Amino acid sequence: MKENENLLRLEDIHVHYGGVKALDGATVYLNDGEILALMGPNGAGKSTILKALFGIAPVTRGEIYYYGERIYPVPHEIVERGISFVPQGRQIFKSLTVLENLEMGGFSINSRAVLKSNIEAVLDLFPDLRKKLKVPAKNLSGGQQQMVAIARGLVTTPKVLLLDEPSLGLSPKVVKEVFAKIKEINQKHGTSIMIVEHNLQSVLEIVDRAYLLDKGQVVENNTPQHIISSGLLEKVFLAHK
Amino acid sequence: MNSIIPQLIVNSIIAGSIYSLVALGFNLIFGTTKFFNINHGVIATIAGYTVFSLSKNHGMDIWLAIIIAVIFTGFVGYLSEKFVFLKMREKRASGMVMLVASLGLFTALQAIIAIIFTSQFQTISTNFGESKVYNIFGGIITETQLIILAAAILITLVLGLSMKYTKFGKAVKAISDDVEVAKIVGINANKIIAKVFFIGSMIAGVAGIAIGFDTGIEPTMGMNLLLKGVIASIIGGVGNVYGGVLGAFFLGFVENFGIWKISGEWKDAIAFGVLILFLIFKPGGIMGKKG
Ligand SMILES: Nc1ncnc2c1ncn2[C@@H]1O[C@H](COP(=O)(O)OP(=O)(O)OP(=O)(O)O)[C@@H](O)[C@H]1O
Ligand SMILES: [Mg+2]
Repeated sequence: MKENENLLRLEDIHVHYGGVKALDGATVYLNDGEILALMGPNGAGKSTILKALFGIAPVTRGEIYYYGERIYPVPHEIVERGISFVPQGRQIFKSLTVLENLEMGGFSINSRAVLKSNIEAVLDLFPDLRKKLKVPAKNLSGGQQQMVAIARGLVTTPKVLLLDEPSLGLSPKVVKEVFAKIKEINQKHGTSIMIVEHNLQSVLEIVDRAYLLDKGQVVENNTPQHIISSGLLEKVFLAHK
Repeated sequence: MNSIIPQLIVNSIIAGSIYSLVALGFNLIFGTTKFFNINHGVIATIAGYTVFSLSKNHGMDIWLAIIIAVIFTGFVGYLSEKFVFLKMREKRASGMVMLVASLGLFTALQAIIAIIFTSQFQTISTNFGESKVYNIFGGIITETQLIILAAAILITLVLGLSMKYTKFGKAVKAISDDVEVAKIVGINANKIIAKVFFIGSMIAGVAGIAIGFDTGIEPTMGMNLLLKGVIASIIGGVGNVYGGVLGAFFLGFVENFGIWKISGEWKDAIAFGVLILFLIFKPGGIMGKKG
């Protein structure tokens, strides 16, 4: 596949934290309209890929292309380009209310009217949050906080959505709901989605393609069916037990 | 018989007003950057001397001098962020390294003030018309002091309301919660922090000018003022606009009533005594969460 055919392309990315090579020459791309999974054991470098794209990981080497054009990531500029990031671990703003969290998700939107209607649209997707708008986000349950974090990432109506372990710590029922939402967002809005996930079974059902990472490198890039039948998953994950 | 209590109350309120102004700016900057900005103390000093220089040496109208001084100190704070602290954060400097850099900047700026204006104690009150004096239940309060009190109340209210209702204020809270996530959602954190330095330094400037009118200025006044603001922040609850103000008035009262029967030299010892008591028994402060 040629470089400028991918919507987003991270090419030969190296990230070092002191002596730790979090990423060691990883290449990952995302096509328009696709849902993509990043899988791999703890410390494989999955989160670091998303952070590198957002300019919040110390990249020592590598290039990033968006619509075929090389970009030099600065977080707020990435958001303005239509890429949203829902980081790992339900990172809501604790001292703000649910509504204020959503407003901050739309910080880059200058028109109040647009912000308002976008928040309305997001609330249609997460109707449970409607009753909680004035509640401080720190008082929500874990699952509700995760909903807020995802909803906050959608306020800008992004072209690309990056989700880092959205199902972590949620009950199986809520996980099912969250993945259904993710699929819905993808189909309704044509949003391209990159999702880091430990929950292999549920994620493989909704993704078009998956990467398997280990020790900062891509060890496989293929369809979920192929990855499951190849036995690679067991090999990589068991090597770390 | 004339009781001294009303006067002690007046003195406490004025001290509380000045401390709260320092605490407000310090809290804003600490909340968003998480480092102990010692330089904030000398910012107040700079404002006092700017008014002194413009009004006494250059004969400028006092209100104009105050406005220029406040904007000028805001700008000095902004520059300190832009050319020192931002650069250090970009290099991922630790809080301790930032504190030392801030102390260095503080020392340098304080030395420059001493070189320009000498170390002598100066007053700037004389140009303020003939200061009227009011008697409130036996306590004497000057017109200047009333203005200081009004300024403190006004600034607290405006800041408190903007933190709650403006996009800027919410972004400041978001950054204080987690700067990395704030950046991720698209907040230009460095731009907001630069504004925080500008605003926080302007407020510190008002405090420095208030001291200049109330008692007087000297180049070394910054450290004591900063420490009072910090103590106020800690006993009120760090990172909370109203907490710092509450702490400031609490400190003002404890200090002034503490020296009711003893020498005024004990003031600072009392302030630090209160700080230590709070750090031991209520480290989260009056408004803060539990320790
Ligand atoms: N800020 C940091 N400072 C130092 N090392 C870091 C930092 N962030 C990540 N690392 C290291 O980089 C490596 C990759 O981390 P990363 O967070 O990308 O892993 P991950 O695949 O997302 O793991 P997990 O499934 O546990 O979230 C790990 O060894 C981790 O310890
Ligand atoms: Mg991770």
